[in-house]
Amino acid sequence: MDKHNPINSEPGILNLNHAQVFVYMLLAVVTILFLFLTNAYVFRMNFEDWQPLPVPSLLWVNTCSLVVASIGMGWATRGAKKNNQTNLKIGLLIGGFFALFFLTGQFWAWQQLIAYGYLLADNPANTFFYLITAMHGLHISGGVVAWIVITKKSWKTDSVESHSAQVSLLATYWHYLLLIWVMMFGLFLST
Amino acid sequence: MEQNAAYEGQQVYHPKGWWGHYVFSQDHKIIALQYTCVALAIGLTGMFLSMMMRMQLGFPGLFDSIDAGSYYQDVTMHGMIMVIYLLTALFLGGFGNYLIPLMLGSRDMAFPFVNMLSFWVYFLSVIILSASFFVPSGPTGAGWTLYPPQSILEGTPGGDGAGILLMLISLAVFIIAFTMGGLNYITTVLQSRARGMKMMRMPLIIWCIFLATFLGLLAFPALFVGAIMLTFDRVLETSFFMPEIFKGGEVLDYGGGSPVLFQHLFWFFGHPEVYIIALPAFGIISELISCHARKNIFGYNMMVWALVAIAGISFIVWAHHMYVAGMNPYLGFFFATTTLIIAVPTAIKVYNWVLTLWHANIKMTVPMLYCLAFLITFLIGGLTGLFLGNVSVDVPLSDTYFVVGHFHMVMAVSPVLALYGGLYHWFPSVTGRMLDDRLGKIHFWITFVGTYLIYFPMHYIGFLGVPRRYYSNQQYDFIPDSVADLNQFITICALIVGASQFILLYNFVNSAIRGKKASKNPWGACTLEWQTLESPPGHGNWGDQLPVVYRWPYDYGLPGATADFVPQNVPDEQIT
Amino acid sequence: MAFVIITTIIVLGTVLFNFFTPWWFTPLASNWGSLDQTIIITLWVTGVAFVLVSGFILYCVVKFRHREDRKSKYEPENPKLELWLTVVTTIGVVVMLAPGLIAWQDYIDLPEDALEVEGVGQQWTWSYRFPGDDGIYGNTNGRLISSKNTFGIDPLDAYGQDDILVRDNKVHLPINKPVVFQLRSKDVLHDFYIPQFRAKMDLVPGSQTNLWFIPTELGTYEVACAEFCGTGHWAMRGEITVDEMADFEAWLSQHPTFVETMNEGSEGRGRQIVQSLGCVACHSDTGASGIGPTWRGSFGSQRTLVNGETMNIDEAYIKKSIVNPSIQIAAGFASIMPAYNLSEDELDAIVEYMKNLSIE
Repeated sequence: MDKHNPINSEPGILNLNHAQVFVYMLLAVVTILFLFLTNAYVFRMNFEDWQPLPVPSLLWVNTCSLVVASIGMGWATRGAKKNNQTNLKIGLLIGGFFALFFLTGQFWAWQQLIAYGYLLADNPANTFFYLITAMHGLHISGGVVAWIVITKKSWKTDSVESHSAQVSLLATYWHYLLLIWVMMFGLFLST
Repeated sequence: MEQNAAYEGQQVYHPKGWWGHYVFSQDHKIIALQYTCVALAIGLTGMFLSMMMRMQLGFPGLFDSIDAGSYYQDVTMHGMIMVIYLLTALFLGGFGNYLIPLMLGSRDMAFPFVNMLSFWVYFLSVIILSASFFVPSGPTGAGWTLYPPQSILEGTPGGDGAGILLMLISLAVFIIAFTMGGLNYITTVLQSRARGMKMMRMPLIIWCIFLATFLGLLAFPALFVGAIMLTFDRVLETSFFMPEIFKGGEVLDYGGGSPVLFQHLFWFFGHPEVYIIALPAFGIISELISCHARKNIFGYNMMVWALVAIAGISFIVWAHHMYVAGMNPYLGFFFATTTLIIAVPTAIKVYNWVLTLWHANIKMTVPMLYCLAFLITFLIGGLTGLFLGNVSVDVPLSDTYFVVGHFHMVMAVSPVLALYGGLYHWFPSVTGRMLDDRLGKIHFWITFVGTYLIYFPMHYIGFLGVPRRYYSNQQYDFIPDSVADLNQFITICALIVGASQFILLYNFVNSAIRGKKASKNPWGACTLEWQTLESPPGHGNWGDQLPVVYRWPYDYGLPGATADFVPQNVPDEQIT
Repeated sequence: MAFVIITTIIVLGTVLFNFFTPWWFTPLASNWGSLDQTIIITLWVTGVAFVLVSGFILYCVVKFRHREDRKSKYEPENPKLELWLTVVTTIGVVVMLAPGLIAWQDYIDLPEDALEVEGVGQQWTWSYRFPGDDGIYGNTNGRLISSKNTFGIDPLDAYGQDDILVRDNKVHLPINKPVVFQLRSKDVLHDFYIPQFRAKMDLVPGSQTNLWFIPTELGTYEVACAEFCGTGHWAMRGEITVDEMADFEAWLSQHPTFVETMNEGSEGRGRQIVQSLGCVACHSDTGASGIGPTWRGSFGSQRTLVNGETMNIDEAYIKKSIVNPSIQIAAGFASIMPAYNLSEDELDAIVEYMKNLSIE
């Protein structure tokens, strides 16, 4: 008996479980947040004092890092579903460490920009860059906190299949934040 | 560590110790009480601030300490506290938390731990906001709308001090709390309904709270983004919203920003926000009017579709707050049309409530009195909205007392009347005792008639052109002395109404301790929260067996039954 | 029963109030009567709706009072009735919206052949500029604003030389001629609102907004700022006088052009500065106390501060009151004056002006 849909309850929406509804709705909220940031960016872009920021090439490396993290999480999900503990562990480690790598790289990119004199308050393009990357970074950090909790829980157990739902959701969150990053990166590159 | 009993598949937290039981409780009923108490407490503060404002308007010069600076601080904090920290928190955090699991036949919210966190983060946001009263510059006096550039500059109280910052940080923290709570409500409504509780058998108040939560989750991010950007402008001297400014004899270090951008962000949030407050009020009325008139709600399906329409359209009306803000004038056509369109589903809801009274069997209980008063005052508030929504009519009326009268009627008077009705109605479920009826009626009459006398005349000085947010009218010839007399009258009414709220407070506390003991279902309601094994419901709500639902929540006056109501969990075979 | 009686009184009172209210529109003094008419239409439609629905509620409360031996009629829905109600409501909405949108089309359609005036708002006073004989405004730049060049007009722009500047909060307009206001703000949001003209529009710093109307009645009218702009928002009162054309032109000719203001000597400079910075919103030169203490007769006198200290009003006192007012608040007044970062020249000019106001 699936504990999230016991025989005494009305079936939920679209056969999703509680955690899935929670996370998907959360992702909707995150989408709106970045939509508004983009909106404000595009609005402000049209004013005279806008000077586009050169995009540090380090960001390409960071993007690749996040892609690898997503692949890792996908691997972990498959491993959990097939009860393969090794794959789960490797996948989780790749997912977590490359996310941290991404965060470090983002921070390093900030340092590069500051060293080149692109300070936050000088120009709205600069401010938006720092603000949007900070927001995204904060959401990745939140994900890392969830990653720590889930990794700890599924490390010790022999039967990892019971954790597959959680790992799968975490992976979804990873993929989604990668998608958000790609869109923001695209925004920076194209303007 | 907590023990999680898989009570028929639903996680229920068993609290350990006093802290786990009463402070960091994960039981939705306790959390609801916590939200209610904090919201009412901060709401009392908001009411006190409004009394200060009224003293200045009614009896200028009586209190030396109310100068222009402190007046605007009172105005701002009163507005923000009432809208966000009282009404939003109380309707969703208070009523939502209490009713959703009970009315759906669930043991608790889907994520009790996150629910607990959401209260404590809300509490933190209240603390941060309150802290702004104690900093040197005092709280912000920028108007609850916090428009830049003035809100972060000297010349507005708190603009160049910590006042505005604490406000913005508090809002950001509130939004985080709301998001946590809101995700919980959505998940619970979609996933945790008892068997037989299809979506179209949910009580209307659940639909209302569900849709209001949805609105909030999608609208609050706009405020969040605006608040962060305004904080940047203030602290880091960026120019999201700050154009070139010449002030205090010099050109400031800002440039290129757009004040109108803030307004778009603010009102994209701000308009859905008023529906976040109105929708739960609508829900309370639907439940109360049906139960106390002993008649099924009229047109349940249309009520649901009207709610969905209102929720959807509410996202595309925001710029009716900006008709004269200097945005592209052609936008006025679009927003006036959408705004007047949203009047139609709202009117349908009013008709359906009223038609519920037709051929009913109306008991004039205190909750019913509040329902009827809601209808009258919501009519006034809603109809005056039609003036303001019509773009050209808004030109002479915008930023006058017509607006103040309108939004108080439709956001303060009618939802608060609904709220009070809800408190009287559900008090027996929460405490097992009845609120005193006589005190209830006294409180009702003073509040209903008093608030009507306060806000109705304001529309007419709005027609005259008396602007809002004015510390004093004395300098203006076009404002006759009779307006000062009216202000005096309104202030006296306000003081009386304000004082009478303590009747409710007394009734609350006194009845909770030694009120008349209530039977399990004193009002004879069909909805599930009254069908628990014991009332007040125990931890886990339903004992060993979750309820099963066989019918919609409005089988009052069902033909063929001897009783005048049939609860949702009674199957056809068991109807007497 | 009490409910029915009291609520009936409320409903009747609400309706009657519309006919007996002491507070109604100010007498119309512009062409925007169409807005008044749309309000009246809306009042009738909403009034009828209010009476019908309230009346129905009260009827139900009387007729369907609870009786133990009765049950309510079980009527979950009536789609035909709902549809009918929806249609009627939609018609009501259209009846109100249509005239409103037509009036709006008019409101935003700036007339071609109109008198142009620039209205400039700042905390907490108004000033105005006419484009002069060449009919073209000179370019302005925020960075050029100073107490001498309060409009920030570019001195190198030929078109700006003949712009006529009205620096003192009172403007005149000719009767029966359409006028287009180009509105801009030097600092924060303001709103230019004249109740008798039924017109208002926000002033947005960093951009320009427009407003038009035709004054149709002679007289003097007040401008009330209608967008919160700080602690002096309620004191930002302006005046518009509507004249016959000849009187208007006479009034206009008394005001200096931009070139003339740039060549003004230092005499009267102090007065010019306090006018251009909006100090006059709170301080008077007449002896009347306002939001702030009056200047007349102040120089050389004693003043008690909120902390009990008594000080002599000398040059140092005046200068400190301007650059750091919050440490020197006079007793009986609020600490709401913002600081002004003026140059030594400007401060000297103001001190000179203060001295003149204290010479008997």
